[in-house]
Amino acid sequence: MITDRRNYDAEMDDLELNPRILAACKKVNFASFSTILSLSSADLGRRTKLPANDVRTLLHTVSEKVYTNPSATALELYHGTCHQSLRVSCLRTGCEVLDGFLRGGILTPGITEIAGESAAGKTQLCMQLCLSVQRSTENGGLAGGAVYICTEDVFPSKRLHQLIQNFQKKLDATECRQLKLGDNIFIEHLSEIDQLVHCIQYRIPLLLKQSQVKLIVVDSVAALFRCEFSPGEAAKRAKRLQSLGAQLHRLSRLHHVPVICVNQVTANMSSGSLNPNQRQLIPALGLAWSNLIQTRLMLGRTAYKLSSGDAVCPPRPEDATQTQAGTDEVPVRSMEVVFAPHLPNDTCYFVVEAAGVRGLR
Amino acid sequence: MFIHYVKGHQVLPRTSKHFRIYAQSKTKMQRDLGSFPLPPVIRVKLKDSGFSVVEDVIEMKPTELSREIGISKEESLEILKMVRESTSSSLPCQPKTPSNSASSSSQRQQQHPEGNKRTVTALEMLRYEKSSPAIVTFCEDLDEMLGGGVPLCKITELCGAPGVGKTQTCIQLAVDVQIPQCFGGVEGETIYIDTEGSFLPQRAADIAVAMVGHCRRIADTNDEEQQTALAEFSMEKLLSGIHCFRCHDYTELLALVNLLPEILDKHKKVKLIVIDSIAFHFRHDFDDFSLRTRLLNGLAQSLIKIASDYRLAVVLTNQMTTHIGNGPSHLIPALGESWGHACTIRIILFWKDNQRYANLYKSPNKQEMTVPYQITMDGLRSVPRLENEQASTSTSFRHDEPQDGNEDDHLNPCKRLRPSENQR
Repeated sequence: MITDRRNYDAEMDDLELNPRILAACKKVNFASFSTILSLSSADLGRRTKLPANDVRTLLHTVSEKVYTNPSATALELYHGTCHQSLRVSCLRTGCEVLDGFLRGGILTPGITEIAGESAAGKTQLCMQLCLSVQRSTENGGLAGGAVYICTEDVFPSKRLHQLIQNFQKKLDATECRQLKLGDNIFIEHLSEIDQLVHCIQYRIPLLLKQSQVKLIVVDSVAALFRCEFSPGEAAKRAKRLQSLGAQLHRLSRLHHVPVICVNQVTANMSSGSLNPNQRQLIPALGLAWSNLIQTRLMLGRTAYKLSSGDAVCPPRPEDATQTQAGTDEVPVRSMEVVFAPHLPNDTCYFVVEAAGVRGLR
Repeated sequence: MFIHYVKGHQVLPRTSKHFRIYAQSKTKMQRDLGSFPLPPVIRVKLKDSGFSVVEDVIEMKPTELSREIGISKEESLEILKMVRESTSSSLPCQPKTPSNSASSSSQRQQQHPEGNKRTVTALEMLRYEKSSPAIVTFCEDLDEMLGGGVPLCKITELCGAPGVGKTQTCIQLAVDVQIPQCFGGVEGETIYIDTEGSFLPQRAADIAVAMVGHCRRIADTNDEEQQTALAEFSMEKLLSGIHCFRCHDYTELLALVNLLPEILDKHKKVKLIVIDSIAFHFRHDFDDFSLRTRLLNGLAQSLIKIASDYRLAVVLTNQMTTHIGNGPSHLIPALGESWGHACTIRIILFWKDNQRYANLYKSPNKQEMTVPYQITMDGLRSVPRLENEQASTSTSFRHDEPQDGNEDDHLNPCKRLRPSENQR
């Protein structure tokens, strides 16, 4: 996408083409390379009055100029010996059980959705990721900060503080001194879609360019989109969602950062082909949004409780009810993979404790 | 000084590696510019401006060169072309040795001697189609539905909601296309164009490992051809036969499709092109729908041409969208009505009662039908028929233990893993 006219002219001059062809193109005044590629070769010939052979060279040269992405074989991708931009890595959640369940963690780059009813643990998981992303790559992080966009609620900074203190206990002394956990989380409160789009379009790229930020969390997309559109405006809403999703995709690819979008749930009214288990609750925002995300995790609460002692080997959720009903028991929550390119549909269980999210075996 | 030394030391291994690459072509890079068949005027101008060997000009742009030595751009372009051609012939990045590519191109010639002729009779086409193999899907029901698998020379489109298994099917096909001919496969390679970033090498590795295991099991110990094929058949080889390309917007996709013939000439074994997904970049930020239709039609035309020229299969994936008409809303494939004409075969994947189904929606030679399938850790598989009723209770995409090859499974990859009754 070339917007700067002068820049484009210079690039046009750099094409390795016969000056005759270049002159013909300049006469017709094409706006950009994408305009040239959008025209069929017959149309190009008609406009530029060039013979078919020249049109073919023009198209070929412009294509070579536009498509400069590196390519690799799947084996090179698998071993990570390919170009940096093609590499696929994982951001660890900071809990071994959950990492094992997610085959390494959150995909980087990519858009991961965390959906679930209220109080299912969505924000807790996101905050934990904001901390683990700051660790070095050897320790499963991405060595960068996080942007946390709140649209639903006030950011629970007290809880974050508590998490940081517990998180620091896990680190060794040198790492603890190096990381200023609280200083690397940028929090933004937004209440309108336009603000969100502006933030994603202009402000976050700036932060990413300085490469301070390695994780983007939007908590939540649904809150904005569910209140600003009336039921009759489904098509308009879908269009806005698609362009937002594409923006996030671009950010994620270009800067190699994971994007996490929190989503609400809605009651399932139809028996469409979308949902595998005819579940009661389905993620909000419909098919238009589902098409844009790569991985969908669904969080939920179960009826089981677990006493929140720091038991080394926590009992399985089935046995959990047998523990005596103390005052400090926590509900067992579930995490389900609805779809992901690399994971089977499966469910695992976790609890939210003072130290963060912990998976159960 | 010490810091300097350390720095130099760190850089050394990298440069030495590069040096090795360039060492082979070094003689070419050091070739005197005077030895090229250039007009004397230009030769003098080059010399006067200080350009003496190939290395000096090879990285330059034609505008720079013309400005530098005061010749027309046309002339500088010709010089660069000549110089580059002389070096590129021996660069190590060219994977195929000349003898190798010559043999494979002659093989291609043999396969369809009518290649030069523009017109073929229907009988010839029928013969060719009957003789040309299809890419098996590893799901018996799906193969049956398609008449043996995904056919070459045609465009097949997979439509479905997110999570139904479009990408999994694509990765499975990318691996399956490489089954050696002695096992009844196509023995080709794949170009995988990923627009959504959903191609994951771990998944491809899972599927490849399962495929290698399957071929090992069905191989005939007395068949020498199969044994030799097996010897070099490995997960690594399968993965290196998948060439991945990424596209970040629709302009890049158009450019890449324009470049495909060149890429295909480089990788002569390619028998399958996957675009996952065609819809993604065409569904956002498009205000001009007539432009979108025009671009998509152009894309379809180019792909059909490539598919028939190079005798390969093209598999596209498409998203679903909710159609709101007069009646109740239902799901239809995205990209509009006119795109429906673009592909020869259209398969719609959907969920029903906890089971994945594939529906052959459009096909020139097979009747419409719906078959169940499942996605296991090993890839796409058919649903065991005897347990069809129970299948809905067990979640698919679950790791099935590899089954022992049945005695009659030799030679035929169409006879796929099917859990015997005693299993779960």
